[in-house]
Amino acid sequence: MEITKVLPDDCISLIISLTSPRDACRLALLSHAFNSIADSNAVWQMFLPLDYIHIISNSSSPPSLLSLPKKDLYSTLCYHPILTHNGDMKFQLEKESGKKWYMVGARALSIQWVDTPRHWTWISLPDSRFCRVAKLKNVGRLEIKGKVKLNTLSSNTNYEAYFVFKLVRDRYGFRHTPVELDVSIEGTAAGEVRSVILDPPRNMPQQAKERVDGWLEIEMGEFFNGFENDRTVEFSLREDHDDQPKRGLIVQGIELRPKHKNNR
Amino acid sequence: MSEVDMAVIKPEMMKSYIWLQTADGSIQQVEQEVAMFCPMICHEVIQKGMGSSKNYAISLPQRVNPAMLSLILDYCRFHQVPGRSNKERKSFDEKFIRMDTKRLCELTSAADSLQLKPLVDLTSRALARIIEGKSPEEIREIFHLPDDLTEEEKLEPLKNTTDDPRIRLLNRLYAKKRKELKERQKLKNIEVEEERVDDRSVDDLLSFINGDNGDSKGIKNSKSKKKNRRRKDQQKNTSANEAIKNHNKEPNGLNQVCHSAEVGQKVRAGVGATSNLHDVEDDIFDNKNELDDGDIDDEIDPALKEKIDREVEDFARRLNSDWPERMQEILSFGHERKPVHFSLNGNGSLRRYANSEQR
Repeated sequence: MEITKVLPDDCISLIISLTSPRDACRLALLSHAFNSIADSNAVWQMFLPLDYIHIISNSSSPPSLLSLPKKDLYSTLCYHPILTHNGDMKFQLEKESGKKWYMVGARALSIQWVDTPRHWTWISLPDSRFCRVAKLKNVGRLEIKGKVKLNTLSSNTNYEAYFVFKLVRDRYGFRHTPVELDVSIEGTAAGEVRSVILDPPRNMPQQAKERVDGWLEIEMGEFFNGFENDRTVEFSLREDHDDQPKRGLIVQGIELRPKHKNNR
Repeated sequence: MSEVDMAVIKPEMMKSYIWLQTADGSIQQVEQEVAMFCPMICHEVIQKGMGSSKNYAISLPQRVNPAMLSLILDYCRFHQVPGRSNKERKSFDEKFIRMDTKRLCELTSAADSLQLKPLVDLTSRALARIIEGKSPEEIREIFHLPDDLTEEEKLEPLKNTTDDPRIRLLNRLYAKKRKELKERQKLKNIEVEEERVDDRSVDDLLSFINGDNGDSKGIKNSKSKKKNRRRKDQQKNTSANEAIKNHNKEPNGLNQVCHSAEVGQKVRAGVGATSNLHDVEDDIFDNKNELDDGDIDDEIDPALKEKIDREVEDFARRLNSDWPERMQEILSFGHERKPVHFSLNGNGSLRRYANSEQR
């Protein structure tokens, strides 16, 4: 029995679309018959988010993106994040699952005193996708908050939130004083608050990790986006106990990353 | 239903039956509510008035043989009962699909021709679970697929909109291989000095490429000394020496520039692997983008070349020491790793990324 003789193309299409993007790429190399089916729009449209047209239409990307073959569009969205929500958010797809992966830029966060020039400035850095990132000049109390509507994200997905930042050479206030990180879904019990040091001395363990784009990230927490998602998820980063001056932190944003399944 | 069954049931209940005929000519009666659960049958009965008697039996599509029909009717018989809980239905479904792959395929096909979508979804999911995560060889075996893509087709260029140097090299390798194949076609009737291995698999290609990475130069290369030195180095690191030697004697001397030590690493990972095609496909998955060049013409200044070659050898050494872990790393995380990246700047010169530098 050869499967392509038993099953019509649209059945095979359906089956492939129920596997994964990675499997679909492999299946394209199986045989002639599979090649055209596994690369087809019918399959790859199923890997894109349901509202991909809406997302792209409301982004800064050219509408010609929508006329790409769906497989190419998928791949483009995995490797070339686009700016959405008026340039406030950065969007891409997580390539293994096709889930939505956002970063909330600093402009869309509520950073206390951010518009007061002697506390914070907005600068432009070439290694950030956003036009502007926020640079800390001097505060005594640090408070950065953000929130995202859950229906923006992929449903039935576990997400991890990361604070994405840099520290310049001329910095102080983060070496010995921990900041408190918190992620919680509005209306539910607050999750555990994490206490981390952003800039530990060399002999202490570094909790922040280096990213591929050259920035640092530190995990703020996790949450599960279920199916009834008319709520919002809220994030906060705070240091408001010691009232010591702080300086030299650059904030790119807060990234919401779909969690990799362990068996992938 | 057998004649005996019908004889027993008929006098007791005044049920309606629908007459169905499968492609092999056999005809049977089925309880109306069960048969009507299939949209196609429902349509035939309501729109065309068929199925009310033996003479007007509904001709079922060819994909529905008696065995499949029986299975489908079992499914319908269970699910058409309104009172069942979701849990019961799920439990039934799980047991129902426990059958060999061949039957699952036939069942999907039969259910599809009867437009019975819930069953098509159920069987399709089961088949998807079977396929998931398997290598192409395994899948071909399960579904008896011919490996009928030519080497050429498998080596179609990957797309490279990110301008990833690894993809660029991979595409060059493919272009090179395609050129080779074409040349071989041309030279088919001409006598050649040494024997060549004609049915080269992708394995051979990749091992050849490994050897060639050591020999990499710009297209204008003519220094055979350097070539020999590197060839010697590579012999320590690869096992496909014969292939390398044969190819290097080739008159056309197709050489390539190795733009990225990582490519060498990635490609080398394919040598001797259980499934090189598997790597190629994972490469394709990791690096799907626009092809910007199919040609091998690139110039690079010799000093940088030396540096790259040293990096290649260094990686080869490292790779050979922790190969299985590297393999996993390379296959799984094409874009997410942090080792040294090479990339072309706008003006064509190579740049090395460090973590704190800008891209």
